[in-house]
Amino acid sequence: LLSGAPGRLGSIFVLLVFMFFFTGLAFAEFRFPMPEFESGYKHPEMHIPPASLIPPLVDLAVLTGALALSAWLALKRRSRRGLFILALASVLYFGFYRKGCVCSVGSIQNVFAAMFLHDATVPWIVLAFFLLPLIFALYFGRVFCAAVCPLGAAQELVAVFPVQLPRPLLRVLGLIPYLYLGLVIVGMTTGTGYLICRYDPFVGFFRQGASFNMFVVGGIILLAGIVIARPYCRFFCPYGVLLGWMSRFSKWHTTITPTQCIQCRLCEESCPYGAIEAPTPPAPPMSRREGARRLGWMLAALPVLIAIGAFTGMAFHGVVAKLHPTVSLAERIALEEKGALTEHTIESDTFRAGKETIPELYGRAQSVKQAFKVHAAWWGAFIGLVLGIKLILLSTAKRRTDFEPDRSRCLSCGRCYAYCPMDNPALLATLENKPTDTRVPS
Amino acid sequence: MTKQKTPKRRFTTNDLIAYAASTVAVVAGLFALVVCVLLIANYLQVSAVNPLDNPQLVELRKQLAAAPETDEKMVQTIRGMDLLARKAFFTSQEELRTGGYLLLGSVALLLIALKIAAVARPKLPEPSEPEGPDSYWKMLKRSREWLSFAGALLVIAAMLCAYLAQSALPISALGPAALETKKPEIKRVAERTFPTWDEMKQQWPTFRGPGAYGVAVFTDVPTEWDLAAGKGIKWKMQVTLPGHNSPVVWGKRIFLSGADENVREVYCFNADSGELLWKKPLPKFPTTPAEPTKVGEGTGFAPSTMAVQGDRICAIFPNGDLACFDPEGNLVWGRNIGKPDNHYGHASSLLAYQGLLFVQYDQKTNPKLYALDLDTGKEVWTAARGKMSWSSPLCVPASMGQELVLSSSKDVIAYDPLSGKQLWMQSCLDGEVAPSAAYANDMVFVANEYATGTAIRLSKDGEAVKSEIAWQWDEALPDVSSPVGSDKFFFVATSRGELVCLDREKGEKRWLHEFEEGFLSSPVVVGDKLFVADRKGTVYCVKAGETFEQVAASKMDEEIQATPAFLDKRIYIRTATSLVCVEKAQ
Repeated sequence: LLSGAPGRLGSIFVLLVFMFFFTGLAFAEFRFPMPEFESGYKHPEMHIPPASLIPPLVDLAVLTGALALSAWLALKRRSRRGLFILALASVLYFGFYRKGCVCSVGSIQNVFAAMFLHDATVPWIVLAFFLLPLIFALYFGRVFCAAVCPLGAAQELVAVFPVQLPRPLLRVLGLIPYLYLGLVIVGMTTGTGYLICRYDPFVGFFRQGASFNMFVVGGIILLAGIVIARPYCRFFCPYGVLLGWMSRFSKWHTTITPTQCIQCRLCEESCPYGAIEAPTPPAPPMSRREGARRLGWMLAALPVLIAIGAFTGMAFHGVVAKLHPTVSLAERIALEEKGALTEHTIESDTFRAGKETIPELYGRAQSVKQAFKVHAAWWGAFIGLVLGIKLILLSTAKRRTDFEPDRSRCLSCGRCYAYCPMDNPALLATLENKPTDTRVPS
Repeated sequence: MTKQKTPKRRFTTNDLIAYAASTVAVVAGLFALVVCVLLIANYLQVSAVNPLDNPQLVELRKQLAAAPETDEKMVQTIRGMDLLARKAFFTSQEELRTGGYLLLGSVALLLIALKIAAVARPKLPEPSEPEGPDSYWKMLKRSREWLSFAGALLVIAAMLCAYLAQSALPISALGPAALETKKPEIKRVAERTFPTWDEMKQQWPTFRGPGAYGVAVFTDVPTEWDLAAGKGIKWKMQVTLPGHNSPVVWGKRIFLSGADENVREVYCFNADSGELLWKKPLPKFPTTPAEPTKVGEGTGFAPSTMAVQGDRICAIFPNGDLACFDPEGNLVWGRNIGKPDNHYGHASSLLAYQGLLFVQYDQKTNPKLYALDLDTGKEVWTAARGKMSWSSPLCVPASMGQELVLSSSKDVIAYDPLSGKQLWMQSCLDGEVAPSAAYANDMVFVANEYATGTAIRLSKDGEAVKSEIAWQWDEALPDVSSPVGSDKFFFVATSRGELVCLDREKGEKRWLHEFEEGFLSSPVVVGDKLFVADRKGTVYCVKAGETFEQVAASKMDEEIQATPAFLDKRIYIRTATSLVCVEKAQ
């Protein structure tokens, strides 16, 4: 959107969105005790949602079709409106109708489970949902993020007044998806569970039911998404990391201008994701030798960063191990045993009613924690590696003569098309003060 | 001076669209706001109240539970109210759902209207002033600095979290080793002589007699009597407050306890005359809970049988109050050992041996076995327990030494009574275990309904005690009543009224007899006979032999849950309201 809505409307809108998502809590966690007597009540027949009866092949066909359409709209047709409508359709189908499952973002977990756990397999439909967007990214860029992913599409729809964040801040926040990706892998390899699904902030809205906390997190992300466009996609999504890697080497990619860049700079502020890179200055302010020395330092720092990361991860393992249900339960029981917690939870009551003894639980928890020590060290090393590579990339010279999208970060959303006068004669005419009907982008 | 006229701006179609869209946005927004407020109010209302906690409904349920016979009218009223509450709840849920859809629709309309308004009032792009060539390099430099700073911050934060988020898990807790005794060495406060095992066998000092395994030393007891005609009845006395605990006897004195929600009492009767020698209410100890303890209907407020050893008489109640009296009823010591976290109420009986009082405090949180100094009440040793149970400890004279045998909802564990050292453990139980173990000639037998009955053979393995499962039985199993063993058999009395005789060595069923009423009281082996009282109050005497043979059945005309005490020529039976002494004719 180029134009702002009236200020008062904006305020009302923000307030309403806030309240809307928090009223979602009304659907969270209602429990009702069973009747205490036999009443002759007949249980209704089990109702299977029609969406559950759809064969997986249909889902696959819809995904493939949507990806192809998104690629066509982004690269060939260059239609922001088309992408917007497709995003809406994706939210309705993959989100509300399919209830957010199966989901490419969550499929990472199944794939990593199949890779690292000997008794885990990945269903073919999940594998297809994992691979297809990556293959499309390898050819066309992140067209999955553009309008097919229901999580991204939902955020795209609410990004009404997006603002740009400072580039250095974007680089820092860009570390979080790597952290999350690492955590997801640690979660899978240690049997902690499906963390992406457990902490999916939008699935509660799609299914109209989630825990209190997840509604709050989802509400905050969507609320923030009004001004900070797509916060989950850019600063959390672990699948986005893989898509970014693929997109960096994509064969074709969406461009800002359909022809020759005239360097009018109109598109400079158009991308709320900070994915448009300006032409680089002709010469760096330092000598080649100085630049090479700095790069050398950065390369030398890489193993140090990996080592520091591994050590930190190992030290941090106890905290992250609490995500594991066994450790979490054991910690809870230990606190209850010490009298630090007087209230029982459903989990602790269930455990106490079971066969396992407390020392056995403690023993099991200690074993899990030991496993976490190693995995968390790998996780830390991975983060050290990512940080080191990012620093190295920031120390290498790049040459750009035109305004170009950053292939790994560009979500192919098409917001920039309308800003290019080469793509928009009306805008060109307005800029040249020609008397014409003003149809400028929005 | 001429006033310059500003040219009036033409009202275009775009302005009209923008105006209309803005109006729609305002209306949709206000509507959404109202729906939102109503939804929140509805949610708060629904989540604050559990419709089934309606005081009137709760009161009616209480009345129904307390009523001796089912009141059909009351049942119908409760059902009607229950149905109404459920209907109201689901109607409210439906309202929430409808409201959610209305909200979704109005917010969608608002978004669309805002979008249209924005399209109709376009704004040209305004690129900022071009920055110099240095800005790019500065941005890269800043990015490197920020990234480095973020990395350092990440390390510091992770380290800080690792330091602050200390684990609550005990470091040494790496398995069943944690069940080991906390203080293995004996730290007795007072050194004095206590009655020996042989002396104790001449009394009925605990639940199910000496050692608490249900075998009477005196065998010359009456087998049949007639309460209504007074035949064989030496005396009968009313007990002030109810209790399911069994009488314990030392010398000429019988002890038992009774309680209701607010009062907990200990009684001492003269064994010869039945005279109430004293009645002592327990004082309120510093940590006694102010609120009455919640107990199950079958548990009551005085389920635990007292323990007596010489001049120390101890009682425990479901609120955690533990007290020790002398034979004259003076409080020697007493304290509350913590309100037990037990959904039916603490029901385990006490056991005294060698100057130690054993309290099997199995509960949800922090279950423990306490060995307390009988003279002072101070802890001599404690052992961590794993699970909750309602069973009672045994002190059995195994050939390899005296053993304390305890059942929990999973395991049977034996301890050295003097040091608390764990001797052996078998995981063979399941469910909510109330029956205590049976013992005969180096064999322990445990059983619980919905689990299995398991015989454990004990033998010496060097210095250690070896335990192995000899056989298992899974047909008729007890729910409350504890099994009992004789030289050749184990006997099981079930809540459904089955009485089973199993071969002690092989576990083969010798006989199974079904009685009309179920058994809550535990059977006792008295010589070659077996005595067991059903819940309606009939005391059966059967032959403890290869075949079922009923010797006698004597009606007590009142419900019996307690286990009678068998002494020389006498049986002391506690019924729902009375204590009865049956004596063999001289």
